[in-house]
Amino acid sequence: MTKNLFFSFLFHALVIFLTALSLPFMLREPIDLPPIVSVEFIEIKDKTYIPFAPKAREIIDKAKEEEKRIVSEQAPPSAKAKEKPDRIPMPEDKKQKKEMVKKKQNPEEIKPEIRQSSEFEKKELFDTNEIAALIDKAKEEQANTQKKTDKLTQSSVKNSFAQALSLSEEDALRAQIFGCWSVPLGLPYDKNLLVRIKLKLKPDGTILKSEILDHARMNTPGQSFYKILAESALRAVRICQPLKVPPTGYDRWKDLQLNFDPTEMLKG
Amino acid sequence: MKFNLALRNLLIVLFGALVLSACSTTKKGDLSGDVYTGTETIEYLAKGVPDRVFFATNKSSLTTAARDTLRKQATWLRKNKDISVTVEGHADERGTREYNLALGERRANAAKDYLMTYGISGKRISVISYGKEKPVNPASNPLAWSQNRRSVSVKAN
Amino acid sequence: MKKIIILFLYIILSFSKAQALIKVDITRGNLDPLPVAISPLHVDGKSEKFSLFEVNKLGSEISKIIEQNIKSTGLFNPLNKDAFVQKPDIAHLKPRFEDWRLIKAQALVTGKLLIKDDKLKVEFRLWDLTAAKEMLALSFTTTPNNWRRVAHIISDKIYERLTGEGGYFDTRIIYVSETGPKDQRVKKLALMDQDGYNIKYLTLGNELVLTPRFNPTNQLVTYMSYFKNLPRVYLLDIETGIQEIVGNFPGMTFAPRFSPDGKKIIMSFAKDGNSDIYSMDIETRIVEQITKHPSIDTSPSYSPDGKYVAFNSDRSGLQQIYVMRSDGTGVKRITHGKGIYGTPVWSPRGDLIAFTKVRKGRFYIGVMRSDGSGERLLTENFYQEAPSWSPNGRVLIFYRETKSDKTGKGFSAKLWSIDITGYNERRVKTETDASDPSWSSLLSK
Repeated sequence: MTKNLFFSFLFHALVIFLTALSLPFMLREPIDLPPIVSVEFIEIKDKTYIPFAPKAREIIDKAKEEEKRIVSEQAPPSAKAKEKPDRIPMPEDKKQKKEMVKKKQNPEEIKPEIRQSSEFEKKELFDTNEIAALIDKAKEEQANTQKKTDKLTQSSVKNSFAQALSLSEEDALRAQIFGCWSVPLGLPYDKNLLVRIKLKLKPDGTILKSEILDHARMNTPGQSFYKILAESALRAVRICQPLKVPPTGYDRWKDLQLNFDPTEMLKG
Repeated sequence: MKFNLALRNLLIVLFGALVLSACSTTKKGDLSGDVYTGTETIEYLAKGVPDRVFFATNKSSLTTAARDTLRKQATWLRKNKDISVTVEGHADERGTREYNLALGERRANAAKDYLMTYGISGKRISVISYGKEKPVNPASNPLAWSQNRRSVSVKAN
Repeated sequence: MKKIIILFLYIILSFSKAQALIKVDITRGNLDPLPVAISPLHVDGKSEKFSLFEVNKLGSEISKIIEQNIKSTGLFNPLNKDAFVQKPDIAHLKPRFEDWRLIKAQALVTGKLLIKDDKLKVEFRLWDLTAAKEMLALSFTTTPNNWRRVAHIISDKIYERLTGEGGYFDTRIIYVSETGPKDQRVKKLALMDQDGYNIKYLTLGNELVLTPRFNPTNQLVTYMSYFKNLPRVYLLDIETGIQEIVGNFPGMTFAPRFSPDGKKIIMSFAKDGNSDIYSMDIETRIVEQITKHPSIDTSPSYSPDGKYVAFNSDRSGLQQIYVMRSDGTGVKRITHGKGIYGTPVWSPRGDLIAFTKVRKGRFYIGVMRSDGSGERLLTENFYQEAPSWSPNGRVLIFYRETKSDKTGKGFSAKLWSIDITGYNERRVKTETDASDPSWSSLLSK
């Protein structure tokens, strides 16, 4: 009898003790717990880009700050890309060079820099508005030959990816935007639903500037759905800020084009 | 302990037997295929003259038993020349409403046509379909549905 | 050190100049409800008294209706008002976008109202919070008693602006109200707003009434009644209450529906055990027989262009769905799946046909393309049928009956809705049990 009583006492004490121990946690937890965030299982290859040491990073960021100011005054970069496609060095090469430069500060690299900057100045002479208008025209034409263009962009996209963003980086960015994009459901799925948005990003992935490329379609009669779709895509990008961009290689992705197309999803 | 186990087994067997016998009684007693063959819900127009016949799911063909009943009705109608009837056609609740209305009409007409082949004038027989709207048995089970798939001859005057 | 920085700068610049534009394809998004904030409408202090309740509550009542409406679509998530960062009385100002973004709202509705000279004036604005701009600004003037409709119209405008398709809130539903035990049901025609308010009973329940359907202008209703024990199709003017039998058929007529131009009623006529499809021109009273087949042909429904009719027939042995030209030629069976198919109803968009399917003792509501391909079953239950489309072709309303026990207890008939993706199934609340719902078109066009 006394033995039983003793055990009972012991266990009760234990229970009370445990409760006492756990209680403070329970009290604290709701405050400490961050809001539940759904985790996307996308691995970013850590080998692709090794983050810089804090000091180096500071320097680069500063440099980028400077550069940003200049960049924002120039004509849209896509124009350059279109006009002189052969001038574009392969991104892989660039990356290597850049890293080399950053690490060794190889003086040899100054050469291309001068050449390029001279071209840069030439650009400035252009009336930027005129260029923009030209681009717009080109784009409208593109939009008119929708299907072909679609396929073209997509295949070319794949090529540029291979060299520009690693697959995992691309997936991470894509997955992030998937999550932010509330697709409007009233869309006709037999129409062209491609919305192309060009972004100019800050190094931290926030958006400096966003532009809908086919904005002529925004106010086309009978295409009111397009405006709604384009707006939803813009909202997605804004909500997603800062975008999950790679920690390095700002130059590669500071101009980014997102092609939103819900056709596949709406059909399936 | 052993005894308990034996008892439990016995109970299980007993219960199973009960369930089985319950099943078989409904089947043998009241349903043939899925046509009701029992006597529940039936009313009589006169002694020995049942007022209704039953149908299989989605069907309006008359079974042997149905023809038998309708012959009795025809005999009774021949004897009582001043009586006219309304044949009400019904369906069970397991079909869409509009189709059931048509089905009820088809069942009622099947009965009417049979009565007419036994010499009853079509003028004495009117037809109305209620589809699934007027179940005689409100339950939701195969037995109730079989009782509701019916055409009923009702004195109209 | 400075040199190094400048060097860096130049190098980076040089590369950025020659950069290929990276393109990323976004082919998927989420279908999570869009978070929106519906701020209570600000009630102008100069407002006159309101006959139904305190005028100050009108603003929040209207916003509540908007909230319920857009929430019921499953596409929007109206945020809790407790979290709101701005009071409604700043409705005339631009919202502080950053503050609203903090509570994760993507769109905001603000507005104000005024009752003056017995007129209710409501202004509202829809804001895109992420883009910090106004998307829509409208104002409505009506009699104060119409306040619920104003809320519905605003809901429609918001829905249209954010989804790109037409709304369906400023609509009514006509249905059959059911009371009493299963074997002695009392059925009345009833009319209500899409959200279940403003119920009106159009018949007294003395006779059995079934399958009411609106005409395209929502003023007429065609339905089936057993008045004087003669089951016939009727035409009822819901504004005047005048009604009449459709046509002069020597037998049961049933399953009526209007043609899309409202000029004809198409229905079944049963004679000698055979049901065929007929149409009658309301104006000229000319009756046309459309099908002629010794089988049950019923539940006809016109395509929105009026050129075709879908119906169900058991000419193959079991109930299946067929499509024909509206003159009865070119009959083609479109369902070939296992089970039986009935109650085809053509979507107002024209691309889909909704139907009821029965298979292995279970009832399904589904949609398929008008050639019978792409069948999608949306919901399965013990018993459900009679789908009717919302005017925008996104939602189906239908009725569902529950199983009863041996004494008939446990039976119920309720209205339900589901959208064509198969999501967002919900009860449509009615005062009594209900069946045979039919959705009106938009009341204000």
